[in-house]
Amino acid sequence: MSKLGVFDLSVRYGKVPALNDVTLHLQEGERVFVSGPNGAGKSSLLGAISGAVATSHGRIEMDGDLLTGRAPEAIARLGLSMVPEGREIFGSLTVEENLRVGTGLRRDRGAVEGDIAEIYDAFPILGDRRHASAGALSGGQQQMLAIGRALMTNPKLMMVDEPSLGLAPKIVDQVYDTLVQLQEERGLTLLIVEQSSTRAARVGGRMILLRGGSVVGDGDASAFAEKDLLSEAYFGQSKLEVAQ
Amino acid sequence: MTSLAQLFFDAVSLGGIYAMAALGIALIFGVMNLVNFAHGEYIAFCVFALIVPSTEAVAVMFLGKAPAFLLIPLLLMIGAGAAMLSEYVVFRHLRRATPVAMMISSFALGFVIQNALLATYGGRPKAISLWPELNTPVAILGAEVPLLQLIVILSTLLVVGALALLLKKTRLGLEMRAAAENFTMARLLGVRANVVITGAFALSGALAAAVALIMATQTGVADVRMGGQIMLVAFIATVIGGLGSLPGAVAAGFLIGAASILLQAFLPLEVRPFRDAFLYTLVIASLLLRPQGLFVPSSAKPRI
Amino acid sequence: MIGKHAQNRLLGYSTPVVLIGLLILLVALVSLFGDKALARTSAETLIRVVLVVGLWIFVGNSGIVSFGHAGYMAIGAYCSAWLTLKPQMKALFLPDLPPWLAQAEWPVLPAALASGLLAALVALLSGAAILRLSGIAASIATFAFLAIVNTVYSNWEGVTGATSSVVGLARYVDQWVALAWAAAAILAANLYANSASGLALRATREDEVAAAASGIDMYRHRLLSLVVSGFFTGISGALLGHSIGVLNPDSFYLGITFISLAMLVVGGIGSLSGAVIGVLVLSILIEALVRLEQGVTIGASEFALPGGAQEILIGIVMILILILRPAGLLAGRELRLPMAGPKLQAKHTTPN
Repeated sequence: MSKLGVFDLSVRYGKVPALNDVTLHLQEGERVFVSGPNGAGKSSLLGAISGAVATSHGRIEMDGDLLTGRAPEAIARLGLSMVPEGREIFGSLTVEENLRVGTGLRRDRGAVEGDIAEIYDAFPILGDRRHASAGALSGGQQQMLAIGRALMTNPKLMMVDEPSLGLAPKIVDQVYDTLVQLQEERGLTLLIVEQSSTRAARVGGRMILLRGGSVVGDGDASAFAEKDLLSEAYFGQSKLEVAQ
Repeated sequence: MTSLAQLFFDAVSLGGIYAMAALGIALIFGVMNLVNFAHGEYIAFCVFALIVPSTEAVAVMFLGKAPAFLLIPLLLMIGAGAAMLSEYVVFRHLRRATPVAMMISSFALGFVIQNALLATYGGRPKAISLWPELNTPVAILGAEVPLLQLIVILSTLLVVGALALLLKKTRLGLEMRAAAENFTMARLLGVRANVVITGAFALSGALAAAVALIMATQTGVADVRMGGQIMLVAFIATVIGGLGSLPGAVAAGFLIGAASILLQAFLPLEVRPFRDAFLYTLVIASLLLRPQGLFVPSSAKPRI
Repeated sequence: MIGKHAQNRLLGYSTPVVLIGLLILLVALVSLFGDKALARTSAETLIRVVLVVGLWIFVGNSGIVSFGHAGYMAIGAYCSAWLTLKPQMKALFLPDLPPWLAQAEWPVLPAALASGLLAALVALLSGAAILRLSGIAASIATFAFLAIVNTVYSNWEGVTGATSSVVGLARYVDQWVALAWAAAAILAANLYANSASGLALRATREDEVAAAASGIDMYRHRLLSLVVSGFFTGISGALLGHSIGVLNPDSFYLGITFISLAMLVVGGIGSLSGAVIGVLVLSILIEALVRLEQGVTIGASEFALPGGAQEILIGIVMILILILRPAGLLAGRELRLPMAGPKLQAKHTTPN
């Protein structure tokens, strides 16, 4: 059974379709990138899975549990965590408070303190500023906080929407390095929306291409780094077939 | 000639009542963008819960007969219960509604509660006698201050302090603050919407009960219209303080209390009945100068 | 052959025809088959049409809820009283009126127009202050405005009689007079809604940022709609005064505010037809409830609703509509005349 199963998912905003009968699967421990032009439906996909966005059709399952139709907090309690586009950290709370918001759903309260220490290990800058207002952090620091915060819910599957948005390349490197490391340490399954295919290829993993609300490509990220294939996906008509 | 000390105590105790009323509204607005026009009626409901339902001019005490240490927690729970019930019956079904629809619904709910009270107790203001000993004046700093005023000031500080502690140090408080800033994100982290919202309503209702106790003791009157009067001031305090800002609501409550007392003291006699008109004109003026609220940084994003 | 766009514009102007036709039918039926009591109820209903349509001109187009319109009503009502009451009455009961006003004894129509204009002027002034605020803050400010008017009118003994009622207004408003003004209000509302200003204002209702980017001056349009709205609301106040013959500041406070908003919401804030239908539906409901409160014999038993039940029921109806059908009974659509011809099938295009 796949970790995450999306079956014939459709999402509409009023009359405007954002996703059309999308089907995809993630296996446990995978690192999957979702890419595509603006308006392709990437954020809608993550929104639908996390429960923040209503679906008009289709089914989403995680480890056999049905996600569609559930409230976001119920889905989070099933082990899904989300780092949204734009980070959305709680600026009026301190860094540590941000980390603790998601710990309410955990049954293993004792492990919480240990986990917080781990986050501060992985992101030392957060540890330094743990009692500072989160709104005062820089973009890169906020991204790290958002990731740390999502990890504090002890998820099985984590989704990150555009982690590189608005960040300097060097910072993006750091973010991804830490993400990969944390994934390996915890056996997480990762679903990442990433505009840059070169970045995705560099980090390594599987890539799903969305265009116009439909899946037009699915294969190893490095294969998509070749420019013509990608521009065909972005601008061309045909569905891509990529050698795995 | 009222002394300065007298004015001070008048202003601070009136301000305290307004601050607590405004807090009740700001709490709910912060969490779900709802301007709860029914809040004044929670206050009226609590006042009338003290007496036996009848249309007599002099009220017979019902719950009001209980000793203070029993009555206070009991009424706080009644207030919380009334607010939570209204959330469950009305506002829960409006979670996806526009702010305007929610506002009008709360207005309708307030109207329903007021008329229910009217039907049960009649329209005549009733005399009630709750802790009349508290109205005896105490000499302090050269002024004769009713003991009740001192208690109001202390209770306001206590309530505001307790609320601040709850918000800062408890799990519920953390979740409420997170939800107030970004509800969807909080839910994505597992914060239960129902828990946070019910909690906000419970706190709001308890605050309403506290205001009810004070008003009942202070004015000695139970009037079905008392909800509307205090509600108007409470709203204005929340808007002037900056919608959604709790410290803003408290500060604005004290400000309006002080302005009201000062106007009452210094306006020429013939104009005094129009004190409220002046007050509200000051309100409109302050909104023109700083529409986002007096105590909110100008860089704050509009919450509406 | 006219284009689709022009077609839609024309259809838009057919709405007042439908609405006014409906009201004429109502009045005709009542005058043919009803008794005096029903005629009075009919007049009351039509006055409410003037009020709620006036309210709609602002609230429906700008999307800002106003709790202050009862204030404009009061201003219009007392203005008409000041202008039409006999000088002897005024000298006795309203001694502090300025001499030119105390002496004035105007015919009713100019008095009504003047009332509307005064209310419109106050709307201009209050709007200038309030309308720069964002939606919810503006609504709360309108509440403050209502409180100001109520406080002033309830305390200014020499000019308004304060809490004692002002009596002796000429009761010239029957259902035909009310019908005439209702028709005027509906026509004006429709004209405004289809005007450049009305359309621009509704654009801001949908998306403030986009509208501003298109160069729409939101403030100016809001102000214009409030002034026109104030005019008719003021007139509705005058009409109310001259139908009952008695004025009291309490008639222009929370009760009427609630009822007018309820009518607007039940019919649907989004359309003029919604406003009118809301008035009709709730007026019928109120009339039925009033009769029930007075007692009705079902079979062998007397059955009467307790006093206050009327308001409670209407409040519950309002809440139910907001929960179940938030756009109101008409869901923001307008009633229109169907156009002839196959391709010209009247589509219910919404004005939003």
